[in-house]
Amino acid sequence: MSIQLEGTIEHKGFGTGAWALVTSSGETYELHQPPADLKHKGLKVKVEGEIRKDVMTLAMIGPVLEVSRFETQS
Amino acid sequence: MKRLLLVGLFVAGLLWALVSFKGLAAQGTYNSIILDFREDIGAAQIESQVKSFAQQFGATPQFNSEFSQGDHVFVVKGDRGLLNALRHSPLTKFTEIIEPNYEYQALLVPNDPDYGKQWNLRSINVEPAWDSTRGSGSVVAVIDTGITKVSDLEITTFVEGYDFVNDRYEATDDNGHGTHVAGTIAQSTNNERGVAGIAHGASLMPLKVLSAGGGGTVADIAEAIKYAADHNAHIINMSLGGGGESRLLQEAIDYAHSKGVLIIAAAGNEGQNAVSYPARYRHVVGVAALDPAGSKTPYSNYGAGIDIAAPGGLKNGDDPAGGILQNTINPDVPGEDVYVAFEGTSMAAPHVAGVAALVRASGITDPDQIEQVLKQSAIPVTDDALNHYGAGKLDAAAAVKLAEKGQITFRDFFNWLRDNGYLNPRFWIDGGVTALLPKIAMVLGSYIFAWFLRNYFPFGWSWPLSMGLVAGSAGIFPLKGCYLFDLPQMPFRVMGSSLPELGSAVQGTTLLNPIFASVLIPFVLILLFLGHARWKWFAVGTALGVAACLGVRAAIAPDLMWLGNGAIARAFLGVNAVMCFALASLAAKPEVRHL
Repeated sequence: MSIQLEGTIEHKGFGTGAWALVTSSGETYELHQPPADLKHKGLKVKVEGEIRKDVMTLAMIGPVLEVSRFETQS
Repeated sequence: MKRLLLVGLFVAGLLWALVSFKGLAAQGTYNSIILDFREDIGAAQIESQVKSFAQQFGATPQFNSEFSQGDHVFVVKGDRGLLNALRHSPLTKFTEIIEPNYEYQALLVPNDPDYGKQWNLRSINVEPAWDSTRGSGSVVAVIDTGITKVSDLEITTFVEGYDFVNDRYEATDDNGHGTHVAGTIAQSTNNERGVAGIAHGASLMPLKVLSAGGGGTVADIAEAIKYAADHNAHIINMSLGGGGESRLLQEAIDYAHSKGVLIIAAAGNEGQNAVSYPARYRHVVGVAALDPAGSKTPYSNYGAGIDIAAPGGLKNGDDPAGGILQNTINPDVPGEDVYVAFEGTSMAAPHVAGVAALVRASGITDPDQIEQVLKQSAIPVTDDALNHYGAGKLDAAAAVKLAEKGQITFRDFFNWLRDNGYLNPRFWIDGGVTALLPKIAMVLGSYIFAWFLRNYFPFGWSWPLSMGLVAGSAGIFPLKGCYLFDLPQMPFRVMGSSLPELGSAVQGTTLLNPIFASVLIPFVLILLFLGHARWKWFAVGTALGVAACLGVRAAIAPDLMWLGNGAIARAFLGVNAVMCFALASLAAKPEVRHL
């Protein structure tokens, strides 16, 4: 099931680090294998993707989001 | 006469205790005795004494070292019997000192140069544990990003693992996380290099399920758990989490548990009252993370599913000092290894896995019993209303000591459950929430007050009275320890609180709100119910219960909001307790006239 989210890209420092999308309401999603264009701290984006309930991670910072499409916002 | 007899018995008991007190020295071990001859007697006389000693006792005193000659210090092999004989022999005339040559043992302080930066190992008190065991014989499976044999794993032993990401037997690390976690468990120690690991005598089984990006599938993780169970791993560490509930994973965990494997997992780093899978599955020890000061870290998850807490580190910006330092690969430079400080519940779990390996090496092989030893020996945190710490903070020395005492019987465990308020098997009940003894004192105190009042104003025991006594004094306090997955804990705290505690139950603090912890509520209840034949006794009961609660708190924990915990708070609680009791006796009195 695809979901749409808006928020800011952050890099969290657990282990060797993990990329995250933090929404305006403060929810943190861990980005699963994010595309290189998305790996920029502070980037404001609108993303479409799927929550991967079958994936576990070493960062454990929130639901795992696999992004299928995204657009940057000013 | 009677008083004289009692005083006599007391003095006799005291004397007996003094005479039979052997002192701390009696606990030392020795197998030789020190003889220090007097300085004023000549060398010839000492020589003749030594000769006659040899004839009499069949052992020849030797100089302790070449430096002992000037001081005339001799050492002779012997035990307690010889020591006693010497102390009553003519030799005492020629010697200054005859005493046991106690053996001192130094604790292992590893020579690894950066051991001093590992605050985490000192905070789990591991040095005394190393005196007994280094974990030899235990096999710890690390289900993670793989393990690369970096330079400070040079003398650590490995057993064959598997890479489920790339489907091959060589399970090396391409991220750096798994090697770091493995280092906490079994970094080569006392090898004059780098840092130390907790169970450095144990063997590591690398199982790679997470890719270089740090993620992996439930299917691979379940297979890795089964692989570990089928290949004689004793302990599994999973510093990973997320995703939803999976039957496949629960079945793999149950399978491993049934084969005698202890499974440990990180609680997750969301900072929420929601422990991640797999830590929340049954048969998994969920580990919360502590900072260098021993407090819960802001990122560590808490609540239901936390079994124990261990150091996870807390870095201050770029300063690595508060993190957990281990040797791992540099993922950006192939072939280079680095010493790097990480933080996270990922770092806390391997502390527990390492101590579990030490406990196993001390002779406890059943996974449930290892878990019991870890929890029972943990340092409890009493003020833990939200279950940040589970059974408490990991203590390696206490765990190994407890394990060496032998098997834990079911009876011991049950007693411990009961003593700590772990009661109902359906609920996860935390021992640290409610200090049991003061609560019992409050309930008993309220009954004693009622009994006392009854001597003056006879009245019958009734259900409303008993309910009032419990509600006023201690509440249904075991409820305070209930945690259900994903449910807020606040309703349990409110239901489990007594009337005086209600004013602070919502916030979850142990401070009392002086508006609630006063004569006010009993006064209102008595005003409301004084005319009612049955409910009046509920109001009387609450007044007595509150009197007991406030009295006990005034005596042992006068912590009040706004008023502090000093003399003012104590006086406030004490005066209100007296007023509650007076109120109850006033309310009980008219019934005497009706009788």
